[in-house]
Amino acid sequence: MSAITLESVSRWYGNVVAVNDVSFEVGPGITGLLGPNGAGKTTLLHMMAGFLAPSAGDVRLDAAPTWRHPEVYRQIGFVPEREAVHPFLTGRQFVLASARLQGIDDPGAAADRAIEMVDLREASGRAIGGYSKGMRQRVKVAASLVHDPPVLILDEPFNGMDPRQRLHMMDLLRAMAVEGRTILFSSHILEEVERLSDRVLVVVAGRLAASGDFRRIRRLMTDRPHRFTIRSSDDRALARELLAHPAIDSVELRDGTLSVRTGDYGALTRVVATAARSAGASLLELRPADESLESVFSYLVRR
Amino acid sequence: MIATLASVTLRGLLNRRRTLLLVLFGVLIVGVAALSRLSEPTEGDALEFTGRLLADFGVAVLLPLVAVIIGTAAIGSEMEDGTIIYLLAKPIPRVLIVAVKLVVAWLLVVVLVAPAIVLAGLVGTGGSAELGVAYAAASVVGALEYTAVFLALSLVTSRALVIGLAYVVIWEGVVAGLFEGTRILSIRQHALAVGDALGGDGAVRAELGVGSALVVAAVVTVLAFALAVRRLQRVELRGDTA
Repeated sequence: MSAITLESVSRWYGNVVAVNDVSFEVGPGITGLLGPNGAGKTTLLHMMAGFLAPSAGDVRLDAAPTWRHPEVYRQIGFVPEREAVHPFLTGRQFVLASARLQGIDDPGAAADRAIEMVDLREASGRAIGGYSKGMRQRVKVAASLVHDPPVLILDEPFNGMDPRQRLHMMDLLRAMAVEGRTILFSSHILEEVERLSDRVLVVVAGRLAASGDFRRIRRLMTDRPHRFTIRSSDDRALARELLAHPAIDSVELRDGTLSVRTGDYGALTRVVATAARSAGASLLELRPADESLESVFSYLVRR
Repeated sequence: MIATLASVTLRGLLNRRRTLLLVLFGVLIVGVAALSRLSEPTEGDALEFTGRLLADFGVAVLLPLVAVIIGTAAIGSEMEDGTIIYLLAKPIPRVLIVAVKLVVAWLLVVVLVAPAIVLAGLVGTGGSAELGVAYAAASVVGALEYTAVFLALSLVTSRALVIGLAYVVIWEGVVAGLFEGTRILSIRQHALAVGDALGGDGAVRAELGVGSALVVAAVVTVLAFALAVRRLQRVELRGDTA
C-alpha cells in the first residue's frame, strides 16, 4: 500500500504560477485528476513522479521525497502524455529495455506479461515508429507496469484510443486497482473520470477546486443553475408558460433568442413540452448553453 | 542494465542519418591521402604532407566535427524528443547513465575517426604506420575530451550543436591561432600534442607539451563529466506545457 502526499505544493515558472498551494493525498484505488487543458495537471503529475521540483511545499511517496530520488521508480510506473517513444525499437524491445533498466529478475517474462496485459502481443514485433496513437499509448503503459509497481501515474492515458481500446484500458486499470494499487490518471474529459474513478481531484488554474467522492462532485456540478436556449414558433408565449413553472428561475428574451435558467436539470426537460403545448408553440430547438467543461469548472471554482 | 543502456544509446545514435554521413568524412581523408600519392612524392614530402593532413584535417576538422554531432546527441537527442523520460523514470543512478552514454559516444567517435586516420596515414606515407597510429591515438584522447564537453553542453543548453561548432571554429580555429595563451584551453591542441609526441619525424610540431596537454585534458574531461551528472540529476521535465 503506497500513498503520494502533497503538502502546500506550488510550482511557478518565472512569473507564471502553474500550481498554487495544493495539498492532497492519493492512496490505493483509482483517483482521477480532472481539469481543463492548461490547468496544471501535467505539472502536478510530473512533480508527483519526481520529474519536477516543487517551488514550495513537499511531494512524497510514503516517506520519501520524489524529487531527485531515483529509487522511487521501483515503486512508481509513469506514463507520460507525450507520444515520443524510441521509434527504432519494436514494442517488445521497448518493454524489455524497461524491464532490464528496472533491474528485475527475468525481464523477458515480465515484458511478455506486460505486453499481454495491454493486449499488444500481435504488434509487439513491429517497430514503434509504425504504431498508431492508441498502440503507442498501450506500449507506454506496458513499459510503465513491467516492474509491477504499487503506484501507477498516467497522464491523459486515453488520448488517441478508440472506444474498444478505451474500455480495455479501463478494465485493466480497474483490475490493477482491485489488487490494491494506487492509480492516478489525468483527464480533461468528465466522462472518463466518471466511469473510472472512485475519487476525483478537480484542478482549475493551478488550484485544487474540489476533491473527494466523484458522486458528490458530480452533484455539485449538476445542481448548479443550468442555462438553455430555446427556439420555437412562438418564443414569447412559451416564455410566459415556462415562467409560470416554479422550477424555472428566469427567462430572457433577447435578440430573438429565448434563454431559460433552472436549478433543476431534469425539471426543464419535463416541463418544456407541456409548456409548448399550452402556449400553442412548436419547439424547434432546445440546447444547453453552458455545458462545456470549462463552464462546469469555473462554476466549481466560484463556489 | 548497463548493456541495455549502452545498446539503446548506440541504436539511437546510429539511427540518425547524420551519423551515417560522418562515415563519408572518413572516406574523404583517405581519398585525399590516396590522391597525394598520384604525384609520386619523395618520402620526405609524403611524410610531411601526410603529417599535415592527419593533424590539420584528421584531428582539427574530422575529429571535432564527428565528436560534436555524436557528443551532443548522446543525451541531447533524447532530451529533445522527450524520450529521456523513459530513462529518468528508472531507478538508475544518474552518474551511471552519464558514464555509459559518454563511453558509448566516445567509442563511436573513435570508431568513426581513428581507423580513417590510420588508413590515411598508411596510404599517404606509402605503408608506414607510425604517423597514422600516432594521430589515431591523438584522436582517441581528443575524442574523450570533446565528447565529454559536448555531452555536458547538451545538458546545459538546447543549442549545444551550434555552440559546439562555434567553439571548434571560432575558439580553436581562430582565437587559439591568434592568442598563444588560449591554446591551453583548446582540445585540438591537447590532441595534437599527443600526435606530436608519438608521431616521429612526420608529425606537426605541437604548441603544447604532451604532459601539460594530458593533465589539462584529464581535468577538463572530469569537470565536464561532473557537470553533466549534476545537470542530469536536476533536469526538469515539464511535459507539453514547456
